[in-house]
This record gives sequence, C-alpha cells and structure tokens, in this order.
Amino acid sequence: MIRLEGVTKEYAGGVYALREIDLELREGELVVLKGVSGSGKSTILSLIAGLSKPSKGRVVVDGKEISRLPDHFCATFRRDNIGIIFQKYNLIADLSVAENILLPLYPANLPKGELQKRLKQLLETFHIEDKQESLVKSLSGGQQQRVAIARAKINHPKIILADEPTANLDEKLSREFIEILKNLKSQNRTIIIATHDPLFFDLDFVDRYITLQHGKIVDDNT
Amino acid sequence: MMLLIWLVMTLFFLSSSISYELTTKTEHMPDIILTQTKAGREGFVDEKIVDHILEIEGVSRAYAYIKAPYQFKEDISFTIFGVDPFEEIDDPFIAHLLERYNLESGSMLVSHDVKELMKKAYYTKEFNFIRPDGSLKRVQIAKEFDTKNAPHYRWLIVMSKEDARDILGLAGSEATNIAIDVANKLETPLIAAKLKEYYPNAKVVTKKEQKLLYEQSFNFYSGTFLILFSITLLTFFIIIYDRLSGMSSEERREIGILKAIGWRIEDVLGAKFYEAFFIAVFSYIAGVSIAYLYVFYLKAPLLGNIFLHDAFLQTQQFSLAPHIEFFYLFLVFLLVVPLYFAAVIIPAWRVATLDADEVMR
Amino acid sequence: MITPEIITITVLDVLFFIFGSVGFFIALKIIFFYDVKATTQRQYALEKQSYLSATIIKFLLFFKTISFFFFVYTLNKLSLFLPGAMCAAGVVNALSSGTALLLLKILNLYIFAFWIVLHNEDMEYEQQPYLKAKFVFYSVAYLLLVTEIALELNFFYSLDPSSVVDCCGAIFSTTDGSYLASLLAVDFSYQLSVFYLLYGLIVLFYLLKNRYLFAVINLLFVIAALITLISFFGTYIYELPTHHCPFCMLQADYYYIGYFLYLFLFLGTFNGISVGILAFKKEKELAKFRYALFFNTLYLLCVSYFPLAYYLKNGMWL
Repeated sequence: MIRLEGVTKEYAGGVYALREIDLELREGELVVLKGVSGSGKSTILSLIAGLSKPSKGRVVVDGKEISRLPDHFCATFRRDNIGIIFQKYNLIADLSVAENILLPLYPANLPKGELQKRLKQLLETFHIEDKQESLVKSLSGGQQQRVAIARAKINHPKIILADEPTANLDEKLSREFIEILKNLKSQNRTIIIATHDPLFFDLDFVDRYITLQHGKIVDDNT
Repeated sequence: MMLLIWLVMTLFFLSSSISYELTTKTEHMPDIILTQTKAGREGFVDEKIVDHILEIEGVSRAYAYIKAPYQFKEDISFTIFGVDPFEEIDDPFIAHLLERYNLESGSMLVSHDVKELMKKAYYTKEFNFIRPDGSLKRVQIAKEFDTKNAPHYRWLIVMSKEDARDILGLAGSEATNIAIDVANKLETPLIAAKLKEYYPNAKVVTKKEQKLLYEQSFNFYSGTFLILFSITLLTFFIIIYDRLSGMSSEERREIGILKAIGWRIEDVLGAKFYEAFFIAVFSYIAGVSIAYLYVFYLKAPLLGNIFLHDAFLQTQQFSLAPHIEFFYLFLVFLLVVPLYFAAVIIPAWRVATLDADEVMR
Repeated sequence: MITPEIITITVLDVLFFIFGSVGFFIALKIIFFYDVKATTQRQYALEKQSYLSATIIKFLLFFKTISFFFFVYTLNKLSLFLPGAMCAAGVVNALSSGTALLLLKILNLYIFAFWIVLHNEDMEYEQQPYLKAKFVFYSVAYLLLVTEIALELNFFYSLDPSSVVDCCGAIFSTTDGSYLASLLAVDFSYQLSVFYLLYGLIVLFYLLKNRYLFAVINLLFVIAALITLISFFGTYIYELPTHHCPFCMLQADYYYIGYFLYLFLFLGTFNGISVGILAFKKEKELAKFRYALFFNTLYLLCVSYFPLAYYLKNGMWL
C-alpha cells in the first residue's frame, strides 16, 4: 500500500535526512517509527504525505507515485486520502473548533449538508459538541488534541499519520490518546506514528515497530 | 490604501464638479464673444461696432455688455454685469432677473451673498463703489436675488451700463464684450473668421472654443496633479509590497498547516486574493465615500484651496454642488485597484509556495 | 495630450508590461530547463514559478478586460477634444495606428482568454501535457502584448487636438475609396446571406460535432458578424441608414446595447474556436459546443431584432 523505493532525502548543506530507504507497509497496518530526533522519522511521514519530494527514489502510495505528481494533484491526493496529526496540534488559534475541523475540506466544495453531517459525527465522537463555536485558543490541551484528531478524520482518510502526537501531553492525556488510537486501528486504516515516547514501545495492537538511526532503518519488528 | 483613494477621489470630485459647473456656465453663452486687445492685453470695445456687426449676414443678434470684476476685499471680487434692460440677453438667469425686476439708473440687483457681505460692511440699502480715481459712487440696492441654482453667479451684481461704466472707469460707449448670436449655428466658425478679418485686434471666441479651453486647461491642471499622484501611488506600491513581503513566522506556520491538510497552491493563492479583493473593494468604497463627504459637505478645506488657486477661472468661489461622473469613479478604481493586486501577487505567491514539510518538525 | 485618462492607461500599461515581462522570463526558463523527471532544486523552483506565471497571466487577463472597457470609454471621451470626432470612431481614425491598435487589443483578449483555457486543461492531467506548449504560447502572447502596449502609448501620446479628424459618417461611408468602403458597398443581401449561412453551418457542425469545422466557421462568423453589424444591423439600431459606427451603440443613448452584443459574440465565438484548437474531455467539449451555440444564437437573435422591429413598426426597410 505504501512503498518507499531507494529513497534518499538530502537538504541544503549536504545534510542527509534519509539514505537509501526501502520500506513497504500494508493496508490496515499500525506502524510505529522509533528513533531520536533527526533520525528521519518525520521526513518519512512528510514524504508519504507528499509534503516533500525525495532527492532520489520513489514514493508510491495506494498505487500512485506521489513523488512525481505536480503539486495540485499531490495536495488533492493528500486531502482525499491522508489525515495528519501534528506534534503541536497545529490548529489555527483564531478560528473556532468547527472551522478548524472543517478546514481541510473548504477547497473541496462539498455540499453544505455533507460537511455538517461529518462535523456533527466527529463532534459527538470526541465529545466536544458544546465547544463547536469556541475559539480554539480557549480550549484545554486535551480538548485541542481531540480537535486535532477530529480534523485528521474529517476527510475519511485511508491513511493517518501522526508525528510525535504525545510530545506535549502529560501522561493522562497520552494514555487517552492511545485509547483513541486503538479505536482508529479498529477501523482498518493504515496508521503510521513517529515517536520517541516510550509509552508506545510495547503496545499489543501495534503491528510493526521500525527503528531509524541516522536516516537508515536499523530494525524492523513485527 | 484608503487614504490614497480618498486623495485621488477628492481630486476627481472637485474636478468633475467644477467642470460640470463650467459646462453649465457655457451652455448659455452667446455663440461668439468678441473682446478687444490693446498691446496684447484685454482692452475695451466700442459699442458702436455692434451696428456694423449686425450687418454681417448670418448674425441674428449682437449686443454689448459689460462684465468685470470689482475688488471688494483682497480675496473677494464681485462680478459687475452692466446691461441695457431693453436689450435681449442670452443668459437666461440674467434675462429672468431683468424681467422680474425693474432696473433703473442708479440702482442695482445684487445676489444674496453680495447683500450679506455689504450688510456686514454696514451697507443695507445702498453701496458706495470706489471709482478708479478714488471717488465714490453711490448705487441703490434695488433687489436681491437668489443664486442657489446658478452657483457661478454667487457674487453677481447687475446694473445699468452707464452705472457700470461709471464705476469701472469706462468711457461713453465702451463695453467689455460684444455678444453675437448666429442664426445657423453651423456657420459660427465662418462668422467668427469674418469678425477676425474686420477686427484684427479683437479676440473672437466661439462658444465651442471656450468650452474646450475650459476643459483643456482644466484637464491639464488636474493632469499635473495626477502625475504627482502617480508618484505617490508608486510609493504606496512599494510600501505595500514591502510590507507584504515580510512574512511572520505565524503566517508561515499557518500556510504550512493548510498545505499539510490538503490545500493546493491555487487554494492558498485564492484565499489570499479573496482577502486582497475585499480590502481593495472596501477601501475603494470607503475612500470614495469619505472623499464625497469631504468635498461636498465640508467643502474641501485646505486641498480645495490648493487646487482652485488659479486666476484663469475668473471666479474665486465654487459652490461645489454634488456632481458625480461615473467615468471618474471608474478611473480611480482602475488606477488604484490593479496596483494593489499587483503588489500582492508576488508576496502571495511566495507564501503559497512555501515548502510545507517544515511544519512537520 | 495628457489627461487623467491617459495617465491611468499609461500606469496600467506600465504595470502590465512589468508583470508580463516577469511572466515571460519564467516562461523562457521553463521552456528551456523544465524537466519533469528531475529532482533538482532548480526543477522544484521552476515548478513553483509556473504557478507565479499562471497567476500573473490571470491577473493580466482580468484587468486587461476591464481596462478594455475603459479604453473604449476613453476613446469616447477624447472625441470631445478632437475636432470633428463625434464618438470613439473618429478618435480611432485620428491616427493610422488606431484601427490596428483596436484590433490587436481584441485579438489579445481572445488569446489571453485562450491561454487560461489551455492552462486549466493542462492542470486536469497529472502529466501536464501542455506545460511547455502553454509557455511557448505565452511567449508569443507576450510579444503581442508588448506590441499592443507600444502601439497604445504611441497612439495616445501622438494625438493632436489641433488636427481635424473624420467622424464616423466619413469613416464608414460607402463612397470613399478605402478598403472598408468597398466592403460596406457590397450588396446587403449578399452580406446577410453569408452571415446567416455561416450561422446555419454553425448549427450544422454543432449537430455533427465536427470540432475543426465548427471552429473555422466560428472564426468566419465573427468576421461576418462585425461586418454586417457595421454595414447593416447598426443602421437599424440607430434607425439611420448612414450611421455605421460600431462605437455609438455602446453609449447610453442606445441603452448600452453594444456591450451586450459584443459580449454575446465574444462568448459564442471564443468557445466555438477553442473547441477546434484543443481536444477537451467529452463533457467539457460538449459544454463548449453548447455555450458557443447558445451565445451565437443569442447574438443572432438580438441583432436580427432591430431590422425586424423596424420593419414591423414602419412597414418598410431603411
């Protein structure tokens, strides 16, 4: 479902984020990428999401060679298939909860009814119906986290990527997140998590652990 | 941005209102006006030539009148209009006045504003004019008239020719202008040419020429102003561009988020231009409205004086009646809005094409 | 002559020139260096710049269209200053470059609009099949744009308010020896038959969905429409057999009917011609066929209304 073939990513100044990576992920797998910062985990996510292009090699997602796609196709593909949960939530502080959640779909020109339906569903799932119109900056950490996850789901993505999702959370919220993760897993989506949080290191519902070091895969555990 | 539009729009309201006034003024002008020059300067014309002019084929009417400024204070002059109440006058306003009120020798008709000013100087029933040689001439104020519908006659005084001559120092049969009407308007240039032949020293101006002159000098004047404004515009352009080029890290982050969640470059650009569009339209409407109020309600203090400070117009106060010309609204729009958009293009593009992978870190 | 209008036009032209040139440089770079397979920094930079170019061209088209109306308005206004000219036609004819300028401006509108169509089509496909082609096309369009700007500035700054010009009565007369006159002198019935025949062909090729012939006929149609508008239909709009001016119908006296007529004609023929140039996807092509037919028909009906209404009202032709 997701394939990286001979992927190398080099940044300006001769810095190699990834070297000759070959990776194949199956549909429905929940994969955790382990490694310290700078090991290349985030870069892999970014490549899978089509947010950057490799210096060498190909990235194929769901049959599409996204490393070759022009930006507008890439973005549309991302919009239709991928949901991203960021490290710092990355919500737009001055917009409301509803607006933030619907943000990915604004350019898609879906009928209003459909948007409202999806929004309602997610608000209920994450128990934040009452906060619909509140500005995001007025919410607590846990609530913001849920908004971020709701946003990642609004487009019914096949793939969910999470980059250090618990980095800014305390243990209680981190465990809550892991619960939500269990839920997501049961919906047969492909989920990839990049993290160095030890809470993830021995979960039974994780299909695969991949360890990265200096841009190379050093371990691949199922 | 608003400031800019306001400035330019004020300019245009002023100019369009004034040119409109000028047009209405010239509507009722006689077809040809003849004045004399002596040594290259405006001189006086002898009334007697009217008989000769009437002999020219095609001339339907000719009469002499006196129209001259009388200095009241440093910044205000009245316009003295000397007529023969038994002669037909082209100008409907004055003609109407003469019909309604009896004009006798030694009395005059004054406009409301003139009456007020005279009252302030303690003259209520009569006024003492000062002749060029310093002596005084007393003239009775017969009636006052309203100039609401004829703003260009705000400082008008109508009196008999003899009285006017007396006050202005003209000799027995001298006048300032001879008005000539032509039966067949198409022949006007021909007759004007004939007049020029007979009176080589005279200045013969047809109605059309006069109109053109007003409009041209006017346009040129505002044209120079516009050059100045083009420069201002350009400066604004650079300032806007500069300001927009600097992207806050906050904005960078937000755009990164949008792209990460699936917005295409076109979507980001679209949003930016949508924003620019609103700013532009809003500033345009606001700027135009403020200019409208400024010019037509506040009567354009400061700027108005700079603009009107030119003697060629021969009238000092314009009443600035509200007059909007759609063309100028269009023009200002075209002058300012494309520039604003142009200034936005490159900064917007730069923002929209940021690499979003940074946001993953 | 320097008037506020002319200064505005100058400012706009300078603006168009600057941005058009930026677009041109990008276009050149893309033509020579763009390589889809490359993963170099330069390639990524070019990809981004292609968006800038597209944005600039859309900007140009949008404001050029608006400024075209302004151009016509200005011509009308200037007719007050040029002795002899009673409407824009006289102003256009004041200089020999006037007609060329006008035609070039109209042509450029078609061309820039077509570029947008080409661009949108290109963006529909992942391989972007028209990428280099559209920038080559833009380079040509750019040269035309520069020519237009040069002509326009030259035109306005060479206008001399002291030299007499012809009014439209003289320009469009049928007794003059000019080329235009000989065109107008051709018998009405002949002109009209060609005009209606071409329309008939448009309908025919619409039904047959032959896009090449459809495009060609549309091209001929716009020419025939303009000629018949000047020589025949215009006179019925003005109800004056000698009034052939294509500009006066843009004025308030005639309820601005000219704008509608020209708009319909443009929309119809533009869509008609573009189906012949590019192979669109089925639904799009169909839509363009329909628009073309619709607007051309609308034009035909509007323009035919005038002589018919006149005849019905007065029982005779002009």
